[in-house]
Amino acid sequence: MTFGALHVARTGLDAQNFRMQVIANNLANVNTTGFKRDRASFQTLGYQLMTQPGAAASAENRYATGLNLGTGVRLAGTARIDTQGTISTTGSALDLAIDGAGFFQVQLPDGRTGYTRAGNFSRSADGTMVTGDGKPLEPAIQIPDDATNVSIAADGTVSVSIAGQAQATEAGRIELARFTNPAGLLAVGDNMLVETAASGAPQVGPAGQEGRGVLRAGMLEGSNVNVVEELVDMIETQRAYEVNSKMIKAADEMMTNATQTL
Amino acid sequence: MDRLIYTSLTAMRGSMARQTAVANNLANAQTIGFRSEITRAQAAWLDGQGMDTRAYGVEAVIGADMRAGTVTATGRDLDIALQGDALLAVQAPDGSAAYTRRGDLQLSPSGLLATADGHPVQGQQGPITLPPADAITIESDGRILIVPPGGDASQPQEVDRLRLGTSTGADIVKGLDGLFRVRGDGVLPDDPDARLIARSLEGSNVNPTAAMVEMIEASKAWDTQLKLISSARDLDNASASLMQLPS
Repeated sequence: MTFGALHVARTGLDAQNFRMQVIANNLANVNTTGFKRDRASFQTLGYQLMTQPGAAASAENRYATGLNLGTGVRLAGTARIDTQGTISTTGSALDLAIDGAGFFQVQLPDGRTGYTRAGNFSRSADGTMVTGDGKPLEPAIQIPDDATNVSIAADGTVSVSIAGQAQATEAGRIELARFTNPAGLLAVGDNMLVETAASGAPQVGPAGQEGRGVLRAGMLEGSNVNVVEELVDMIETQRAYEVNSKMIKAADEMMTNATQTL
Repeated sequence: MDRLIYTSLTAMRGSMARQTAVANNLANAQTIGFRSEITRAQAAWLDGQGMDTRAYGVEAVIGADMRAGTVTATGRDLDIALQGDALLAVQAPDGSAAYTRRGDLQLSPSGLLATADGHPVQGQQGPITLPPADAITIESDGRILIVPPGGDASQPQEVDRLRLGTSTGADIVKGLDGLFRVRGDGVLPDDPDARLIARSLEGSNVNPTAAMVEMIEASKAWDTQLKLISSARDLDNASASLMQLPS
């Protein structure tokens, strides 16, 4: 026995459930460096055409209107909202925040290039610049062992001062990648995003050029999650979940009544 | 046996269909730009000899409620909320001209501007493709301004203008894909006075309270018809027992 309303309300419950998961993930990452919040976007499911408008009702009459019943809702996808997070000063020379568009390029263990906004870099044992969890930056930046001071300019030039030398030497240049559709990048965890067919190819180049943002050394970009906004969304989701479960209850009562009466 | 139960049955079918439509409205209470659907029952008279007592109930979705939904500011550059009765022109999968209230626009890898459910947005000369840009702004009259890479942020360039139509006075129907179309394959004229709110989204216009009341109404209508069917059974039983031979 199928009853349309029951199944339609179930799709509503499913969708709200997914949305709650997205909100929970946003809230959980409120303090994650460079995290961009996701927004769940819903889409109507297909419609069932029960009666075609204009169909013959009898030999002489035609239906003036039709009966198109919707079959519910589904989660069309999650859109990453790429607004700038708050930039705060940390004082560590290797902390970098991107002010504007663009991503750092990082070599992932499987050989792919990962893209991230999290700029909390440090030096590995062999002197290369690595992310917080040890993935090397691309192109690799080697900081000599005897460097006493490291400074990173807004365009990504890394200069090091070496003990006993008056002039600072250039150790390399950090390049940023930017995408036509950054929302199409796939999140793979550990703050990393990878390129997909939807994101388009990366446009790699020095920071501050061709639309890429500039680097701010000694600063970190926080997440762009707004706790108040998420909490309001959470209440909204909860209420939507409630009305859909009310619907299931109503449909169930109709069926119960029918089975008991007949 | 009386035909009463069949008349009741059509009404029961109707309330079931209505309940499904209400459930669909409630399920889409959070879908961006969704327009709630209105169902109405109408009587279909059976002509013939004898008494005209047989009027079957026919449930129909008569259209979409075009009232505006709640607008929330999102801060995303490509989010737009259409104001008043404005509609955004998009291209349906079959290439025909269709309209939507959905304003969460997205860029494809090639730069094609589309709604989040994948319908390309129409500009003055067909679909809009945006070149790489430092910044994209959509103005309240639908003009899309970009700052080209490395360009002067204070002097954005106009790329195209969104095609906006006005639904009032036009014969608009909501199709099976949730898009609006002009009846008879027409097109809405481009309305230069249509306005939108940038960096905001218009939610669904489903009023959950009203939908819940409709839901209760449909449940009660169902119960009433069930009562009628059970009275029909009682009547039948009564006449059968009258006819019974005394044992």
